[in-house]
Amino acid sequence: MALAAMALLSVAGPALAHHSYAMFDRDKELKLTGTIKEFAWTNPHSSIAIDVPNGQGGNDTWGVECNSPNNLARMGWKSDSLKPGDKVSITIHPLRSGEHGGSFMFVTFPDGHTLGEVPGGQKKS
Amino acid sequence: MTTSRIKLALGAGLAAICLAGASAPKLALAQVEDVTPPKGPPPAAAPAPASTKAAKPAEPNTLDPRGPQAAEVQLSALAPANLHKPRPRAPFDLTGTWFVDLSHGFSSWMFGPPYPKFLPAAQHEVDAAAAASKQGRAYKDDIGQCYPAGMPVIMTRVWPIAMIQLPTAVYMIPGFENELRIIYTDGRPHTPADVVVPSYNGESIGHWEGKELVVDTRYFETSHHTIDAGIPISKDFRMVERISLAPDGKKLHIHYAMWDPQNWEGEWDSDKAWNRVDDQDITEVECTPDLDKRLPSTQSTLNIR
Repeated sequence: MALAAMALLSVAGPALAHHSYAMFDRDKELKLTGTIKEFAWTNPHSSIAIDVPNGQGGNDTWGVECNSPNNLARMGWKSDSLKPGDKVSITIHPLRSGEHGGSFMFVTFPDGHTLGEVPGGQKKS
Repeated sequence: MTTSRIKLALGAGLAAICLAGASAPKLALAQVEDVTPPKGPPPAAAPAPASTKAAKPAEPNTLDPRGPQAAEVQLSALAPANLHKPRPRAPFDLTGTWFVDLSHGFSSWMFGPPYPKFLPAAQHEVDAAAAASKQGRAYKDDIGQCYPAGMPVIMTRVWPIAMIQLPTAVYMIPGFENELRIIYTDGRPHTPADVVVPSYNGESIGHWEGKELVVDTRYFETSHHTIDAGIPISKDFRMVERISLAPDGKKLHIHYAMWDPQNWEGEWDSDKAWNRVDDQDITEVECTPDLDKRLPSTQSTLNIR
């Protein structure tokens, strides 16, 4: 039964949302490189706020929607896996409207390791 | 201005005021009255009038701490006397943690297709939801705004559900927002319609038929309560579930029959299944406004509310 649950989790994103994910463009991926502002380890969704340089001398705060902590923990996440001030890159499916938000795919840390929402995370060459 | 002209102006003004008062409607007197009772011991109760009929003595109720006057009160599903009342053994026990079976695809959380023939107002909502989806927008995604999912969609949220079966009731606590659902199986009738409080999960009364638990649910709260994508429900929405357990105890099946004469014609049928997940427990899950503010999906302008 645990394997079945993990197989379900591999669908990721909308499979575990408690609401519509229609507004995220699942055919598009954006990589945000910036500084963690907040990581909320909460039900039903964890979330990340990251400050991303906008190329105009300032930062834009992006909101990133993640899975539930219970499911993230099964992927190796902990409540302090991200802390304010951490410099990371987060890959997302962005909002179709162009607003600064998206659904989480995976995070890449400075040492190159990743944490994602699929079993075992994702390794990028 | 000369003194005489000032007096003339004042006089004209006063006259105008008097004339206005004579023709204006009278204001209602204030209806706020202080009725605070005086402090002191309460007055002695008046003696009851003599009855010409022989009073039937109340049967002593040893089951309820409130005594004989509570003889007609429905016992709680958790009252020991109710729990231990002799009853036939239930055909199965679905106590456990369950997870909806989505092995046929994620969209199988929905209760259609097939869909019934919708009446015009409901069809309008369905069409609007479909159009929004094509645009990559969410139509009336009230669950995302922290409204309860309600029956039936609370049963197919992608979260585990804890089910606890007692002789008198089945308690279902979904992991998603912990929307408690109680199916009473102690023989009580539905609450009279003029006193029941509508709820998102409705009032469920169940009884055993052979190897099935048949559950009749009615009295739904309709505010921000939809099925699938935008399908509204009315106060006349009613459903009957036939719940059965696979022989190995690992799969739960529920056949749904749903009616809503204000929104669709006839009976809408749907079949769902759940798998037992012995390695999961539900947790507390609350949807709060400050949580929602962190989520780009619920805050996006792509929501049509």
